Amino acid sequence: MKAFRLIAFFILLFFAKSSSAQVSANANRLLHSIYAKLQKATDYSVQANIKVDMPFIRMLPIDAKIYFKQKNKFKVESKSIAVVPRQGFDQASKMLADTNAFNALVQGTEMINNVQTSVVNIIPVADTSDLILGKFWIDEKQKLILKSKLTTRSNGTIVTEYFYGAQAQYALPDKMIFQVDVKKFKMPAGTTTDQAAAAKKKEESQDEKDKKGKIIITLTNYQVNKGIPDDFFKKK
Amino acid sequence: MAASEKIVEVKNLVKHYGKFKAVENVSFDVYRGDVFGFLGPNGAGKSTTIRTMLSLIRPTSGELHLFGKSLSHNRNYILRKIGCIVEKPDFYKYLSAQKNIEIFARVSGISVDKKKVQEIIEFVGLKGREKDKVGGFSHGMKQRLGIAQTLIHDPELIILDEPTTGLDPQGIIDIRNLILQLKNERNKTIVLSSHILSEIELIANRLVIINKGKSLVQGSVSELLNAQELIVSFTVDHLEKATALLEQAQMQQAINKIEDKNLLLHISQQEIPVVNKLFCDNGVNVFSIESKRKLEDYFLKLISA
Amino acid sequence: MFWRSTYNEFLKIAAKPRSYIGVGAITLIIALILFALKIDGHNFISFATRPFEQSLSFEGNILNGNLVAFIILQMLIIHVPLLIALVTGDLISGESAMGTIRLLLTKPISRTSLLFSKYLAGCIYTLVFLLWMGFIALVVGKYLFGTGDLVVLNSDGLIILQDHDLGWRFFTGFLTSYLSLIMIATLSLTFSCFSENSIGPIVSTMAVIILFNIMGALNVEFLQKIQPYLFTTHMLAWRSFFEDPLPVGKIVTSITVLLTHIVVLLAVATYKFNRKDILS
Repeated sequence: MKAFRLIAFFILLFFAKSSSAQVSANANRLLHSIYAKLQKATDYSVQANIKVDMPFIRMLPIDAKIYFKQKNKFKVESKSIAVVPRQGFDQASKMLADTNAFNALVQGTEMINNVQTSVVNIIPVADTSDLILGKFWIDEKQKLILKSKLTTRSNGTIVTEYFYGAQAQYALPDKMIFQVDVKKFKMPAGTTTDQAAAAKKKEESQDEKDKKGKIIITLTNYQVNKGIPDDFFKKK
Repeated sequence: MAASEKIVEVKNLVKHYGKFKAVENVSFDVYRGDVFGFLGPNGAGKSTTIRTMLSLIRPTSGELHLFGKSLSHNRNYILRKIGCIVEKPDFYKYLSAQKNIEIFARVSGISVDKKKVQEIIEFVGLKGREKDKVGGFSHGMKQRLGIAQTLIHDPELIILDEPTTGLDPQGIIDIRNLILQLKNERNKTIVLSSHILSEIELIANRLVIINKGKSLVQGSVSELLNAQELIVSFTVDHLEKATALLEQAQMQQAINKIEDKNLLLHISQQEIPVVNKLFCDNGVNVFSIESKRKLEDYFLKLISA
Repeated sequence: MFWRSTYNEFLKIAAKPRSYIGVGAITLIIALILFALKIDGHNFISFATRPFEQSLSFEGNILNGNLVAFIILQMLIIHVPLLIALVTGDLISGESAMGTIRLLLTKPISRTSLLFSKYLAGCIYTLVFLLWMGFIALVVGKYLFGTGDLVVLNSDGLIILQDHDLGWRFFTGFLTSYLSLIMIATLSLTFSCFSENSIGPIVSTMAVIILFNIMGALNVEFLQKIQPYLFTTHMLAWRSFFEDPLPVGKIVTSITVLLTHIVVLLAVATYKFNRKDILS
């Protein structure tokens, strides 16, 4: 009996390990296929409408034009001041570029907007990596990221939702919603000279801090693979 | 000319500053065509009275009527007819003489006529200096400019408060001549305040004397002074003998004062040679005969009383 | 007569050297600010965006002419009142010191008319001053820094106002600043009616502004009750036009307080000037 239990334990361990390895291999394969799809668009330009719904920031939606070129050239052109996530729009692509830099693990499935997605966790290999933890909700059939949650040392945690339309073949979304952690937003004390009582505003600001901040970017009129020169992205 | 028309009527004018009584029941009248002297020592209340007439100071009580109207109810109407210099004439130093006159002309109720401004400036003897900044003017020139600004709107009454203060002898003569010109050529009524008796005596026909805020006497200069009588000073070698001779001639009441070797006699012009002969015939040597200003004596008597 | 007198008063202001001291000083100050911002403006503006920079990036021409004009308006809350008071505080007391008040008040113009003509001339000077300041700040600022949206940092966060929405805001903001400066002009003119020298009203005006600013900043219960009534509390009312949504109630209150102060001070000045014995 005792021997039977021991043998059963080792058989289970073998299968667990091999299934874990299998799961890990699956995750890497999935991420690789996502990355490959993302690489299809070598460059693109798109009209963007950027709406900021965030505590401590009030502004009207603005129109901008976004330019991107592989691997990491990014430019926003706008007559107005645009508030965008610090990490840019191509964080996912950057993360997935080097599959050796992280360990990926599928952690089950979840329904996102009536689509079944695989939840893949990414843990960086190096302790010094900027990424602390990543999580992707991936539509396996379409090979599209529907949601991501990236926690980095430099930019905190940003949750991004992706909505696709005509440019799904290039994994280019029609709409992105970025959720930003606003707890660390702190107004400089005593620097403003407006009439509002600072004390009263401090009270209100505490409530604001509990909220999430959102940036909603609607993207239209993609021009993909038209050949944008490298010079275009150089800062004047 | 209706010499009896009253232009200025001041009745029982009172001005107190707390407990200090600057002016107390001062009354006088000024008639059209007068050169009216307003006489008193320093601190008598002349400036206060004049400033009250010009609405620079609010009276504590009393009545002020000019041109037949009450000053308190017809200020602008009255001031339109008055030109004045109050103490020293001050102007905008950073502006030219011409610009200064234009500024005062505008608020005097007349349109600025550059030709007229030029004429007035020439009249007061400042031709060629109209473009110069007043900051560079001497006191005499400012005084002339002051008179120019009193005339620019052709007033009926001119009030001059101590117009010759700070002037040299030539300046005093010039201003005096200017005043006489205003009276004779332009038919102005002039009120002239001063503590310098010679000024008043030479040009005023009527005067009021005030002291310590009170008016002492007013009337025509000739009435007040009685031109027949003079104060004549005889400088002699024997005063006692001279006095005795006058007693013998029953003229002792003519003795006004005895000062050192001077005998001051209250006599008429005709009596001067008589007294001189009396002294010479009786061995009293006469070294000089001088006719003293009557007004000065009268004035000093009044204010010391 | 009133308009002639006003013309006179404006001529006098225009002829006085001190009128140009104020204009010259403000030109120099603004030139220095423009120069400093040109050299190191990006560090200055990062102060406003720093609280958000961990998660957000601001793309576009933040340091533009609109922001520069806004900064200039803010930084001159003490300087400009002093330069205005330099001229308006001298309107009555300067004439007393010079002695010209004697001649002026013997002219057939009522003292009230004369006072108001001086006041109006002072208001015109203030307007010219502010227009000049606005010109350098906005026009020269835009020439040097270009145009763009305005980023305003308030105690409750950041507001980004779009360029096309700024014209009317600056216009109304300047109008309200003008009202604040008229308040200063009125205060200094009132002091001028009580003084026989030029320096007293200017120093008194600045002392009142500084004192009221300190009283407005202190967190003391007793003072908090009177703070809403201090005119210095409302001198920055122009800033309200750069909030979104527009705090209409706050703006109306500020304008009302400033106007009330102006009316009361003018009444005091008129009373004093009419009853004053001219002894100088």
